[in-house]
Amino acid sequence: MNASSPEFKKLWKEPVVRLGVITVLVPTALCFLPCAYLYIVHGVAPTFDEALKAWGMIATIFGAFYIVEPISYYPILGLTGTYISFLAGNISNVRIPSAAVAQDVAGTETGTLEAEIVATLGVAGSVVTNLFFVSLAAVAGAYILSLLPPSVQNAFKNYTVPAIFGAVFCQFGMKAPILILFAAAIPFLMLYVAPLYGLTFLSAAWLVIVASVFGTIAIARILFKMGKLG
Amino acid sequence: MSPEVLAAANATGLWVISIIIVFIVLLQSVLYAKLSFKVAGQINYPISKCREALKAGMITAIGPSIAVFIVMVGMMAVVGTPITWLRLSIIGAAPTELTAATVGAQAAGVEFGSPQYDMHALSVSFWTMAINGTGWLVLVALFTHKLEDIRQKLGGGNAKWLGFLSLAAALGCFGYLNINTIVGALRNMPKNPSAVGAIYATVSGMAAMGAVTKLTQTRPWLKEYSLGIAMLIGMLVAAAFA
Repeated sequence: MNASSPEFKKLWKEPVVRLGVITVLVPTALCFLPCAYLYIVHGVAPTFDEALKAWGMIATIFGAFYIVEPISYYPILGLTGTYISFLAGNISNVRIPSAAVAQDVAGTETGTLEAEIVATLGVAGSVVTNLFFVSLAAVAGAYILSLLPPSVQNAFKNYTVPAIFGAVFCQFGMKAPILILFAAAIPFLMLYVAPLYGLTFLSAAWLVIVASVFGTIAIARILFKMGKLG
Repeated sequence: MSPEVLAAANATGLWVISIIIVFIVLLQSVLYAKLSFKVAGQINYPISKCREALKAGMITAIGPSIAVFIVMVGMMAVVGTPITWLRLSIIGAAPTELTAATVGAQAAGVEFGSPQYDMHALSVSFWTMAINGTGWLVLVALFTHKLEDIRQKLGGGNAKWLGFLSLAAALGCFGYLNINTIVGALRNMPKNPSAVGAIYATVSGMAAMGAVTKLTQTRPWLKEYSLGIAMLIGMLVAAAFA
């Protein structure tokens, strides 16, 4: 079923949005309970000035990502994928790879309701695994880690994420090899070449993400119109 | 951190709060999975495919979750176990959360983890982590459905183009992540030669995925393990040569 049809809206979009808004907002509010706990039990809380100051400082560092990340990841994650991935975190290293493999396994066509369902299940499955491991870490992390030699720990800590990023890039790249060049050139120019000419402002992470995602989309649009894609 | 602060950060009350929030994160995925199965039944999409998708997601998440596990143990030692469990079960990876905890300490006028880091500073750290996560979560809760409208507009009702649009977004995103890894490693290498390992991992992960994908053409059962295998190869190559 095409994702722009009215049945899609009724069958999928409406229940998904309803569930998403509730299941994201409720835990967001509950995340302040640890602060309330410290106040009630120990009588400590940030002063109004400190709270505002800390908020300002942290928003200066991450504020741009609050806006840029949902917009940039949306075309990859879809509707349900966005609600789940932003609540559960670990988007680029866990959620997107899981959604991509699920879609490969099921062989669905992007932009259909079937693809949305399959991606949702892939992401939901990844949450189960991820929560299992973080809960295990909370209960017995230090003990389990003491059993692993430091070389193994370092390999996992330093190399799994780059290896996954490389593998996922290849996985997507094989579906439209012509786009690989542009998708790598845009961030390379901004992160590596621009600073050589004193244009360090172009290397701000949030700006590079927006330019890479939407620049590659724009180039894909041109290539698609020229008939060079698919 | 003083023993008093660490004891407070590991109190039972915080465990109870964390259990509730982690449970909701799990519940959300369970409810979406149930909805997916239900709608799949309504549009006659095979349930067997749904099960495969769920399984593929679970398997693919194993490797990166082990990495999260290891980083998490380090964070537990500095902000306490329950709050680490809570923060790493929702948006915000360990570096983000530790940045927020540090910024909270700065706002309270002390150094994070120092002997001066007291209960009051802990409360500012907790606040900063919570308010930082709120930035993403509130925007996602309020505006995600609008993003779907924008995607439909950009897609212009052409399903084929919509597919390429998602693909281009994914390539742009991972192009950034890979180049960021490589440029970061190149900058660190003069001081720390072993930083080259990240480049080995990136390149061999890429090559391994290409090879594994070729293999899956004749062995479709391998597909759900493809990313896990590529990740392991990338990790092993980097560990062996860096």
